[in-house]
Amino acid sequence: MCFGPFPLHQTMASRKESAASGSSPLETPVKQIQIDGLVVLKIIKHYQEEGQGSEVVQGVLLGLVVEDSLEITNCFPFPQHTEDDVDFDEVQYQMEMMRSLRHVNIDHLHVGWYQSTHYGSFVSRALLDSQFSYQHAIEESVVLIYDPIKTAQGSLCLKAYRLTPKLMEICKEKDFSPEGLKKACIGFEIMFEEVPIVIKNSHLINVLLLDLQEKSTVADKHELLNLSSSNHLEKSLQLLMDRVDDMNQDIGKYNTYCRNLSKQQQQKQQYLQRRQQENTQRQSRGEPPLPEEDISKMFKPPQAPPRMDTLLIAGQVNNYCQNIKEFTSQNLGKLFMAEALQGHSS
Amino acid sequence: MSRFFATGSDSESEESSSADEITPKATGTTFNKNKEAFTPNLILCCPLRFRFEELTNIIKTIRNAMKIRDMSKCLEEFEQLYRAFLKSKTIVDKEGVPQFYIRLLADLEDYLNQLWEDKEGKKKMNKNNAKALSTLRQKIRKYNKDFETEIASYKENPEQSAEEEEKDDIGSASSKSDDDDDEGITAKSLMKKKPQEEEKKAPEASKFLKGAADEESESDDDEDSEDWGSDSVDSGGESEDNEGAAASLAVVFLKKAQDGDKQHEPKKDGRRKRHKKIEQVEEEVDEDGEAEEGGWEKVKGGVPLVKEKPKMFAKGTEINSAVVIKKLTEILQARGKKGTDRAAQIELLHALSGISNENNLGQGILVKIKFNIIASLYDYNTNLAAFMKPEMWKKCLECIDELLDILFENNNIFIGENIAEDSENLAISDQPFRVRGCILTLVERMDEEFTKIMQNTDPHSQEYVDNLKDEGRVCGIIDRLLQYLESKGSTEEVCRIYLRRIMHTYYKFDYKAHRRSLGLQGETKSEQDQEESEGEDSAIIMDRLCKFIYAKDRTDRIRTCAILCHIYHHALHSRWYQARDLMLMSHLQDNIQHADPPVQILYNRTMVQLGICAFRQGMIKDAHNALLDIQSSGRAKELLGQGLLMRNMQERNAEQEKIEKRRQVPFHMHINLELLECVYLVSAMLLEIPYMAAHEFDARRRMISKQFHHQLRVGERQPLLGPPESMREHVVAASKAMKMGDWRTCHSFIINEKMNSKVWDLFPETQCVREMLVRKIQEESLRTYLFTYSSVYDSISMETLSEMFELELPTVHSIISKMIINEELMASLDQPTQTVVMHRTEPTSLQNMALQLAEKLGGLVENNERVFDLKQGVYGGYFNRDQKGGYQQKQNYQRDQKGGYQQKQNYQRGGYRNQNQSSY
Repeated sequence: MCFGPFPLHQTMASRKESAASGSSPLETPVKQIQIDGLVVLKIIKHYQEEGQGSEVVQGVLLGLVVEDSLEITNCFPFPQHTEDDVDFDEVQYQMEMMRSLRHVNIDHLHVGWYQSTHYGSFVSRALLDSQFSYQHAIEESVVLIYDPIKTAQGSLCLKAYRLTPKLMEICKEKDFSPEGLKKACIGFEIMFEEVPIVIKNSHLINVLLLDLQEKSTVADKHELLNLSSSNHLEKSLQLLMDRVDDMNQDIGKYNTYCRNLSKQQQQKQQYLQRRQQENTQRQSRGEPPLPEEDISKMFKPPQAPPRMDTLLIAGQVNNYCQNIKEFTSQNLGKLFMAEALQGHSS
Repeated sequence: MSRFFATGSDSESEESSSADEITPKATGTTFNKNKEAFTPNLILCCPLRFRFEELTNIIKTIRNAMKIRDMSKCLEEFEQLYRAFLKSKTIVDKEGVPQFYIRLLADLEDYLNQLWEDKEGKKKMNKNNAKALSTLRQKIRKYNKDFETEIASYKENPEQSAEEEEKDDIGSASSKSDDDDDEGITAKSLMKKKPQEEEKKAPEASKFLKGAADEESESDDDEDSEDWGSDSVDSGGESEDNEGAAASLAVVFLKKAQDGDKQHEPKKDGRRKRHKKIEQVEEEVDEDGEAEEGGWEKVKGGVPLVKEKPKMFAKGTEINSAVVIKKLTEILQARGKKGTDRAAQIELLHALSGISNENNLGQGILVKIKFNIIASLYDYNTNLAAFMKPEMWKKCLECIDELLDILFENNNIFIGENIAEDSENLAISDQPFRVRGCILTLVERMDEEFTKIMQNTDPHSQEYVDNLKDEGRVCGIIDRLLQYLESKGSTEEVCRIYLRRIMHTYYKFDYKAHRRSLGLQGETKSEQDQEESEGEDSAIIMDRLCKFIYAKDRTDRIRTCAILCHIYHHALHSRWYQARDLMLMSHLQDNIQHADPPVQILYNRTMVQLGICAFRQGMIKDAHNALLDIQSSGRAKELLGQGLLMRNMQERNAEQEKIEKRRQVPFHMHINLELLECVYLVSAMLLEIPYMAAHEFDARRRMISKQFHHQLRVGERQPLLGPPESMREHVVAASKAMKMGDWRTCHSFIINEKMNSKVWDLFPETQCVREMLVRKIQEESLRTYLFTYSSVYDSISMETLSEMFELELPTVHSIISKMIINEELMASLDQPTQTVVMHRTEPTSLQNMALQLAEKLGGLVENNERVFDLKQGVYGGYFNRDQKGGYQQKQNYQRDQKGGYQQKQNYQRGGYRNQNQSSY
């Protein structure tokens, strides 16, 4: 998976100024996100046109911060770059885009990025790194996750995530060892925080929509009542299973690490004891004690497996589970409804 | 080529370039009188003289340059001198470094040092000269290090050396050829000169021979004396070189002048003796010898032709067996020595055999000589890896044939390896002859050479076919020897010859027997055919020979080979059960990895043949198992010894490659690799496709054949699927059709024109195999169909199935029953309506998935528990274990529940159905 668009430090500088002029820095600078209808449509369109299957599309969000809410007023897609055009300069592209948008009087402040997802699989190392660098540079930045499959089923699925301050700290220190994570008291539940989203349209658009609603027929709402579930569930289960496999492997690794560590501890203890015994013997014989040796050199602790990936996998598994739960509860509801309907009609 | 010879020809080539310069001097000065008398225009040049003259010339120029202080010229000349010296290295090696050379080196160094010291003079020099001076100084310093001792000794008494050099100069300029006993450089130089002279003179002399026959004797005398000279003074090694050159040259003349060769050959044994003899018989021998020489002299001018005409036996010697034997040992002593001309030796032996035949010396000697002829024929190629030339080999074949003739005719000849050289009885005819030698080894070697020849012939050429025709003769000889040994040889020998016979039989399909078993069509054939079919069936022969070996053999290797060949032969003739039983009884599978590579190759061949046999018999599973090992490695070609894999080229060095090449099986014994692969893939398809259909959702399902899956994947990767071209594509396409239960398409992909010509027609009983295949395809397609689509049926009538797959009702019935019994198909048969009623108890794919997930989660939890265990340490251990046990129990319980769920479901389903049925 490729990295998302880059946060630009230049923008960050200008951003900082405005932030400084605004309210005092909060615990979480963004409490709410207000998205322009245009942005939503642009994201959807981007996916429809470029992302097919499990391909992921990404883009840059533009907007501004108003008090504790982040307003996303525009966005632009990020081109799919393939292996063969190496000389494509992402930063250059972003700069150009933003400069051009500025010329036509559009908000040009970088406030985050968006990404599409396939059956809710987005919790990955790449996303984490990308979002970390964003949040590191631009404090308010968010990542918008757009789920085209759910959207196709009839309910728009767009979610905004931010890294929690705790995770930010860990990422800053880059200490992903078991001890480090333990000290930070971080679990998969508190890695990401979801920020509530409000979609806002201008009054004119609202009027137009109301106007159109009356004119259009009701016919296009079938997907909502679609009863078939196995396909979607199967896919989700398949993905979930893959993650579980990964998790299993990671745990296995961690297990061997733990065992090695404890074995070594034992050896170390034995060695020390033996040394002590020998020393007491020598003392009783009146010989000088053996010189101290560097124990840490003799017993190099085994390399601890990084645990961040495990955390991410756990987060992803959690995510899948949520998705499946949501889906099944909806479907159950639909099934009951259908049953009731049938009973009524027969 | 010997060094000597090389320098000789070298000087010759240079001589032409600098002929003008040298000729006048040479003609004027270096000839002795009688040579001058009849070769006035002869350009004579001894390498030593020539070289040294060249050197002295250069030295002169250097000295001149030194005088005028022309350093660049000096440097130039010095480099030339250096090169010239290198060229004359061979002579220098023998002669020692010539004094004048050392003198120059020393002088030059002194001179240069002097120049170097002279700062003012250096300043005056122009740039080029100064540069040359420094380079030359460095060079000569470096160079002189090699001659330190000589230079030192020169510096000690420069006078003497100078004198010597002068003398040498004079010596080279004046004719001193008469004083052979002269010591020092001059003498040596002349000595060196003489062979060269001789070599030059030989053709010339013969040219003049016709015209000046009276002078000839004189020249001969002269030459002889010269020869004496060179012989007496030259060191042993040198003379050998000399001989080697002559010998190698003699090869050229071998065909044209046989007697010449013969005669020069004994030279090795004793040159001096011969010379004495020669003086007696010379005149007459030389006359015709020379006449012949005159004929072939033009082929190569200036090469050291050996002019002496040795004769096998001195004239008038009474030729009896003792003399012949002595001669034979004389010839044989030269065997294997460096520089021995092997071709000539063979000729000699032939001649000897002719002589002994003429003189009726008895069969013993003849046999002995024959043995040696064959041995020296084998010796002809020193390199074991190289193969004999077919002509040579054929000669060898004839010899062996003759030898066998003799042996058969004369019952009183005993041969054996164990007969000691001195207890041989070759001559005394009233006792049985005893001859040392082993005909079996010779025949084996002959057979091996035959294999080598076949290996080294392009299998697609006419030559190969021609060579292959000789196989009959080889077999004939082996048969004859077999008869001979059966009466005379020890069991061990009999075993060995039996194995040879088996090796020539096992891979051939016995068409006669095949035809006969099909029902005596042979009767209408021509007489010859009938005659052929009179012979024993190869199966019977194999059986007899192998059983003898099983019983009598004491070396493991022969028995192993015999067993493998026997199995191969059985398998080739579709006697599957015999072949299989023999294979299983021999337990070869357990310990074949300890055998040597050729036996392993034979084993692989046998396994493959066994697999193919099983396939023909319709034992698909057995076929697959037998072929699995060979095919899964992807190195079938290598494992069967039918070619080297390219990718290994980097891994092995040339030596290994040679060894591997020697292991290759000749082309006519190859097993068709495409057939092999096709058989394997088709049997894998017949096994794998139903299996895949049955275990579609099983997480733990294993691949039966990786290779087959690989082919399927390759097929899937193709972006555009055209009609299949290759055999593999056909099988892949057929597999896809079979997956859908579409047996007709599958059939058409497996059996069609292309596949027939590529694969199926290669079987002897094509039609049976094809019928078997169709049947298998129908059955397996039916199974696949039921596995794949049972979920969409409530019930299906067997009649429909039998129509769909064109199988008889009982077959369908039996297949379905088998599936139900094996719990592959959750269904029951409804007898009155002849339908299969599905139970619908297989979980749906989603359920399957959920089950899999549950299993995985179980594993995950278990792993987690383990981590937890470690964390708890000693204290928590007890408590924890309890807990864990409890958990496991719980899990077990859950599993039970799961099972229970299925059972319950079963039950419910059944109940439901029951209800349904009862309500009907």
